[in-house]
Amino acid sequence: MEKTNQKNRHVYWNPYFGGFLLGLLIIFTFYITGRGLGASGAVKSGVVTVVNKVSPEHTENNAYYKKFIDGENSPMNNWLVFEALGVIMGAFLSGAVTGRIKLKTQHSPKITAKRRLVFALIGGLLFGFGAQIARGCTSGAALSGISVLATAGFISMMAIFGTGYLVAYFFRKNWI
Amino acid sequence: MQEEIFISGRNIPKIDPNLEVWHFPISLYLFLGGMAAGIIFFAALFTILKREKQVQTAIKPAMIIVLFALSIGLLALFYDLTHKLYVWRLYTTIRIESPMSWGAWVLLFVTIGSFLWVFSYFSEIFPKWEIKIKALKNLERFLIKNRRNLAIILLPLSLILGIYTGILLSAFNARPLWNNAILGPLFLISGLSTGAACIILFSKDHYERKLFSQIDLALIFIELALIVHMIMGMYAGSAVQLEALDILIGGDYTVMFFVFVIILGLIFPAILEGIELLGYKVPVIIPAVLILIGGLVFRMVMVEAGQLTRYLY
Repeated sequence: MEKTNQKNRHVYWNPYFGGFLLGLLIIFTFYITGRGLGASGAVKSGVVTVVNKVSPEHTENNAYYKKFIDGENSPMNNWLVFEALGVIMGAFLSGAVTGRIKLKTQHSPKITAKRRLVFALIGGLLFGFGAQIARGCTSGAALSGISVLATAGFISMMAIFGTGYLVAYFFRKNWI
Repeated sequence: MQEEIFISGRNIPKIDPNLEVWHFPISLYLFLGGMAAGIIFFAALFTILKREKQVQTAIKPAMIIVLFALSIGLLALFYDLTHKLYVWRLYTTIRIESPMSWGAWVLLFVTIGSFLWVFSYFSEIFPKWEIKIKALKNLERFLIKNRRNLAIILLPLSLILGIYTGILLSAFNARPLWNNAILGPLFLISGLSTGAACIILFSKDHYERKLFSQIDLALIFIELALIVHMIMGMYAGSAVQLEALDILIGGDYTVMFFVFVIILGLIFPAILEGIELLGYKVPVIIPAVLILIGGLVFRMVMVEAGQLTRYLY
């Protein structure tokens, strides 16, 4: 047990301090880009680009994809895509500085790595789908929304985390 | 009377106003040629300095990569030729004022030299393969004895090859983005940097990797300085240069240039290599691959954007 604890040791920053920095980052983002942060938007741009490459007619006729196709301009030419690139770079740097760069799956000792990955994938798919219905994810709708005191931001935040707390009960065995 | 109105001569498809003749194979060739020049330079330099033992990757496996790089690069060039059967004509003349002629001849000698170089290490690289033919064995013995002389010949040739990849473009006086004197040194430094990255990628020796990380870091700083020079030089230029520069700093190739060349291909790998030298653990493959991709994208941007730039009328 001692050993697994050592292996799953948390070497991250204090979450409240991280949240404080994130808040400063949002102010900075609004100042520089004139708009908020986002995360799921980069994935969406990637998906739209691939679909548009494979079947341009489909994106043309599809009400959802059509919104993001703008003639010559590639959907990848979007601030969120570059922001996501920067996030990957920053994450890699922070991992390097704290000596955490290695391939591993972090999971509860009670479940297998495969189970963790499958559940993460399902969760990610659900969240991505939900984010598109709600027109934004935790970063794009909740975080950026609340920072400009938008009602939708507060509602998103409460809906995302409220549902999380409710549903977590059924999946708690995967962690504790 | 204004005669110039009559003599327009401007209707030349694929050449004027935009050049549309050089595509990806040329960029690939310039990248591979530059990288090969970089590896040959380091292999020759360390052999001349009698420090071969410390850079085993640079002088053996990396030189095999050079053979592939040169071969693929030459195939790409050949593929791009419109009149493939006339390729031999490049070797019927030597024109000292033509970069293309310099390139053709230097490439020939560098390729032969590299093959001889790798052959001189044949028995060391493949200890189980014994050379049976006596003449070849004698040749190998001769080459091993004259390896330093070969290095002395290859060192300047590699520098010429590296510079030529840039001069080939900068000699076009009709393309303002290319037509600046920095491009030769810039491509040379970029080639040396990608060569060092390639050696890092294949090296298993801790000392060698550290050595080439340091060299690479210095080269990246020089390259960034040269890019700043290029931009500032154009910025201080005429309207033609300003318009050419606009493609890089506020036009079609801005994203490619700044995101993939400057940030992902130079600054980010430099930071990674820097913190690695400070003692943090970074998988070397990441900065090395980023530098290689950055080098290739840089050639693609320069070749494609350069063809769009033109003189104003």
